[in-house]
Amino acid sequence: MDLAWSAKDVEFRDEVRAFLNAKLTPELRRAGRLMTSVYADHEASMAWQAILYERGWAAPAWPVEYGGCDWTLTQHYIFNRESTLADAPALSPMGIKMVAHAIVAFGTREQKDYFLPRILTGEVFFCQGYSEPEAGSDLAALSMAAVDDGDDLVCTGSKIWTTHAGEANWIFALVRTTRSAKKQHGITFVLIDMATPGIEIRPLVMTSGEQIQNQIFFDAVRVPKANVIGAIDDGWTVAKYLLEFERGGGAAAPALQVMAESIAEAAAHQPGPAGGALIDDAAFAVKLADVRIRADVLEILEYRVLAVVADGGNPGADSSMLKILATELSQDITELALEAAGPRGRVYQPHATLPGGPVSEFIPPTDDYVSGEPWQAVAPLHYFNDRAGSIYAGSNEIQRNILAKATLGL
Amino acid sequence: MDFALSKEQTLLRDGLNKFLTARYELEKSRAAAKTGPGWQPEIWRGFAEELGILGATLPEAVGGSGGGPAEAMVIAEELGRALVIEPFVDTVIVAGGLLARAGSEAAAAVLEHVAAGSAVVALAATEAGSGDHWEDISTTAVRDGEYWVLGGSKAVVMNAPLATHLLIVARTGDSEGQQAISLFLTEFNPAAPPAGVTMHGYRTIDDRRAADLIVHELRLPAAALLEADAWPSLALARDEGAAAVCAEAVGAMRKVLADTVDYSKQRQQFGQPIAGFQVLQHRMVDMYMELEQAASAVYLAVLNLDAEPTTRARAVSAAKATVGRAARFIGQNAVQLHGGMGMTEELAIGHYFKRLTAIQYEFGSTDYHRARYAKLTRPTR
Repeated sequence: MDLAWSAKDVEFRDEVRAFLNAKLTPELRRAGRLMTSVYADHEASMAWQAILYERGWAAPAWPVEYGGCDWTLTQHYIFNRESTLADAPALSPMGIKMVAHAIVAFGTREQKDYFLPRILTGEVFFCQGYSEPEAGSDLAALSMAAVDDGDDLVCTGSKIWTTHAGEANWIFALVRTTRSAKKQHGITFVLIDMATPGIEIRPLVMTSGEQIQNQIFFDAVRVPKANVIGAIDDGWTVAKYLLEFERGGGAAAPALQVMAESIAEAAAHQPGPAGGALIDDAAFAVKLADVRIRADVLEILEYRVLAVVADGGNPGADSSMLKILATELSQDITELALEAAGPRGRVYQPHATLPGGPVSEFIPPTDDYVSGEPWQAVAPLHYFNDRAGSIYAGSNEIQRNILAKATLGL
Repeated sequence: MDFALSKEQTLLRDGLNKFLTARYELEKSRAAAKTGPGWQPEIWRGFAEELGILGATLPEAVGGSGGGPAEAMVIAEELGRALVIEPFVDTVIVAGGLLARAGSEAAAAVLEHVAAGSAVVALAATEAGSGDHWEDISTTAVRDGEYWVLGGSKAVVMNAPLATHLLIVARTGDSEGQQAISLFLTEFNPAAPPAGVTMHGYRTIDDRRAADLIVHELRLPAAALLEADAWPSLALARDEGAAAVCAEAVGAMRKVLADTVDYSKQRQQFGQPIAGFQVLQHRMVDMYMELEQAASAVYLAVLNLDAEPTTRARAVSAAKATVGRAARFIGQNAVQLHGGMGMTEELAIGHYFKRLTAIQYEFGSTDYHRARYAKLTRPTR
């Protein structure tokens, strides 16, 4: 029993560190540091993906034959941790971390050959079409119709909360091919070319002013059956498989530790409510200690789940636990960052940040003036955007339902 | 990174589990605590002679088996699951560690008795004025020829009414804080305390025995000074004690959560088991997540006990604060979900609740450890 990394792991960490030091330009690091949500600035994110692709590290979790890395789970954890510590911008998860796994597991030879190499290079950029206006937590209630018409499915309906729909050239979506008594039956998993006629995108302006999320309308959009992943009517199987990748992750703690640590550093220079530095205010110090302790403990919990997976086990509902703990801790940390930002936390200045998408109806000052430090500009936007954590990928209430059933047998 | 128990550690856990399942009855142990001698000496003998756990973490030279923090964790968790009141952590982990590090012949002699089950050593550190800050004690020891003369007063000395030996923490110089904190070892008979010691014994809320000791002109021979400048050893002992009770709490919380889940499936209200209500399901899931965080925190503490003092203290404080939070949440909600029965002495749950309450204040309270963590992680520049 020990927490130490093997000599091989340490050697790997040093290799990753050297690579990050050499390749992360100040601009890329800035994009990582000034993120206002889980999404980095799109251009920076794609530029970093290209650099990783060149090194063979764009999609380490994929099977080696498709361009993945022959890493142990510990090495994956190290890579994620080091990337976070070095302020690397996050890669978009929808292609590399999500749909690609469905294509690998359920796709045909042709689908794999076409999509996987293009996802790696960024030539194909996916968005995700799961939720509908009337099917959120109750995802299986989705109703976007897909009518069988010869070689095509003709799709009509709407998808919502589609991140980066405007930037994407493909979407993976769940559509309704059959209405049956059991709502999980009759769902089909399809890949749709965003250039197909009949698709209209309506950006949603979020409370942060960012336009990352969208609603998409499909009006008789023709999708070749060759773009169905898995069997028609059996898309729920594919979707469930993917949800585990979406929730699983399991390396959230390093980023949370870095976020909390930077609050501590900032608070040493901020005035406290009773005079002196904010970091020396007893109430603030305890709140900060509390989130840092939770991050330290979450790291061990993530290691423990990792150890189960490394032994060939299935994390099962533990991925729900990690999702709840990581997102709720992240929300508490962004709340504390906003407190630490003081009066400057009320200033709306997205030009001092690097959000994951365009900002609506904002005219930056001509002289680029920023009130305070960039982290103070990030704080409120990150706080607003982070409310999504307990809603997306199955709300935390749904995750608790899963744990009650699967882990406690209730 | 490895969280697996070794083959020997698994055997240790299973053997202890089997022993406690067969021999440790909650009702008998409470009767011993309330109206009996305060513990079950035959259980303690079994620990020593049948299981060998009283020497599990002690050096081989004194009859121990030379185990470390992982062995302590395995044992403490099992003891917590069975709600054992006998003073394993205080005697073997805390006092045992202090004696082993002192390294003198007198200390080795006492350790042999600890391993054999014939000694119970109580640590007299806390004072009314020190609270959790053991470096703020005011008990003094003044040299007088061949003797040390001790004076002061010690509060809530765990197990003093059962002890054969006392370890007394006293100040041997004029300096303040961590300087000149020394450790004295003396034999002790609670039935007839030595001249200079008045003992007020009592039962604690979790059915253990403890005492306030008033020390006035207690004359100890020069050789009773076990270690001068004992602060580093004392700080380590306190962290080791904290880590061990964290593991004990995890054992207790596992049992409490399992009992609560079972109960919710049995208990019928409104024509259905209360386990079917989502608000209670989510409460139990939150209890489960507190438990898993607490279990992770124990690893964090245990696997850092041998690290340098700052790293060790940070990890232990993170763990104790986490376990304190979990113990409060799980204890309170287990009572709530059991309804009125959870408040009685009739179900195990009430007894576990009391132990989980006491643990929050042992070896530094939840808030003490939060504050220590904050201090240790404060940016320096």
